[in-house]
Amino acid sequence: MTTLETHSIAIEKTRKPFFGQTAQLVRDRLILFAIVLLLWQSATWFGVDPLWISSPSLVAQRLWQLGISGQLQKHMQQTLTEASLGLGLAFVVGVPIGMAMARFKYANAVAEPFIMALYSLPRVALAPLFIIWFGIDLLSKVMMSFSTVLFIFMLNVHEGLKTVDKDMLDLLRTMKAPRHYVVTKVLLPWLVPWIIASLRIGIGLALVGAVVAELIGSSSGLGWYIEYSAGRLDTTGVFAGLVSLTFIAVVGNLLVAALERRFSSWRAS
Amino acid sequence: MNIAIAAARRPVLEAVPKVALRDIRLSFTAPSGETVPVLDGVSLAVPAGQFVSIVGPSGCGKSTLLRILSGLVKPEGGHAEIDGSPIDKNNERVGFMFQRDTLLPWATVEDNIRIGTDLAGIKGDKAKSRIGELITFLRLDGFQKHRPHQLSGGMRQRVALGRLMAYEPQIYLLDEPFGALDSQTKAAMGRELLKVWAAHKRSVLFVTHDIEEAVTLSDRVIVMSARPGQIKRDVMIDLDRPRNGRDLRKDPRFAGYIEDIWAALDLPPDVL
Repeated sequence: MTTLETHSIAIEKTRKPFFGQTAQLVRDRLILFAIVLLLWQSATWFGVDPLWISSPSLVAQRLWQLGISGQLQKHMQQTLTEASLGLGLAFVVGVPIGMAMARFKYANAVAEPFIMALYSLPRVALAPLFIIWFGIDLLSKVMMSFSTVLFIFMLNVHEGLKTVDKDMLDLLRTMKAPRHYVVTKVLLPWLVPWIIASLRIGIGLALVGAVVAELIGSSSGLGWYIEYSAGRLDTTGVFAGLVSLTFIAVVGNLLVAALERRFSSWRAS
Repeated sequence: MNIAIAAARRPVLEAVPKVALRDIRLSFTAPSGETVPVLDGVSLAVPAGQFVSIVGPSGCGKSTLLRILSGLVKPEGGHAEIDGSPIDKNNERVGFMFQRDTLLPWATVEDNIRIGTDLAGIKGDKAKSRIGELITFLRLDGFQKHRPHQLSGGMRQRVALGRLMAYEPQIYLLDEPFGALDSQTKAAMGRELLKVWAAHKRSVLFVTHDIEEAVTLSDRVIVMSARPGQIKRDVMIDLDRPRNGRDLRKDPRFAGYIEDIWAALDLPPDVL
């Protein structure tokens, strides 16, 4: 998950949509989805034991039951709260740090190997420590989520600021623009696509952080529900949890895509 | 307060030029570690309201000269002054324009021009009407809400010129502002610039590669030598204004100036 990758995502997503082909695209995607469901369902007809892979109909039934009892909403809300708090905190902390990394070049040069070492460390391995530090309640999950996403914001914002139009900054300097003017009029708008790209990757990672912490120690949340179901060889429960997680991720990505359309239209050039 | 008193006490001297460069020296360190002189004792005085073009071979330091005047680069030796006081201790507004339009890609035409009024401290209705006037003056009506990527190269440079004018600078420093445009657009932009200059009579320092453009626009053309840059010739262009490109080309004096400047440039034959 390098910053280079995130950059290419930012550019790719802002290409003009294929007007007139949108309806066809949606239709074909639904067809693909139906085919996958059908294959999954038919596997049980051809003798694969539902114990291993469950089936779409069983999963749908389970989701319905969980929904009626209110369990589904409870677990989804729990995981969603952890992940979004982690993501939000990473944004609030990571963007200023990324800007400081660009502003204080020497300090950044000193800290860089350490930052990269932490970035390369599989943060998942921190989960047991975080449970000891922050308990088994909300805080440890938020912190796990935060620690997985933080670097994405830091490194993307830093990278984004490296590419800022130098002539533009020089021009504002010749016009004696105050620092806050440069930040609000140039640097922050410039960073919008980079921040949106970070959000796009961050959503998935925030869920990873929250779910991993739930797997290790918790009493609710989709990660807990998956762990609990797996412990009872209840693959239908596991798949119900996975489907719910996927749903959260998909909705999150749709929100980011909407943000992107709203803020990055100027990139169409 | 003190500044105001000091300004009031200073006697008004006609002799103080708007822009003065005295014995400017500057070098840079090449990646190999050796010191490369860029400007080697450049002196130049520009009276208020004069339109001066600077021509010279690539790398002769003509852009660097503008960067020194804008305060972006500090010379190693010599003095750079505006109205008789050093550049960095000067509140005079200096407007810079690059070859690239350097517009904010996400901002509309209006908002890009507003940067000029913002930084000139012009606010509210006054800024609004000023921006409106400039948009009409630069024939950008109907494009107020367009973004730079929706405009042609010439229009983008007109917006950049609008931003510069909105800042109401006392001195225009233009670094090959039309260098990236095709020749017709370039000529049109030159006429536009002369219109601006005729209306406000500010001092203009215009760096260009195009000798015809320099002679067409200027009161005076400075010819610089190859690196390290020195002033080789200072040619006063004594042609009537307002000038018209087509008439000029039939004027033998125009051809004379061009020939004179080419000769002064004294480029090696393989360049031509």
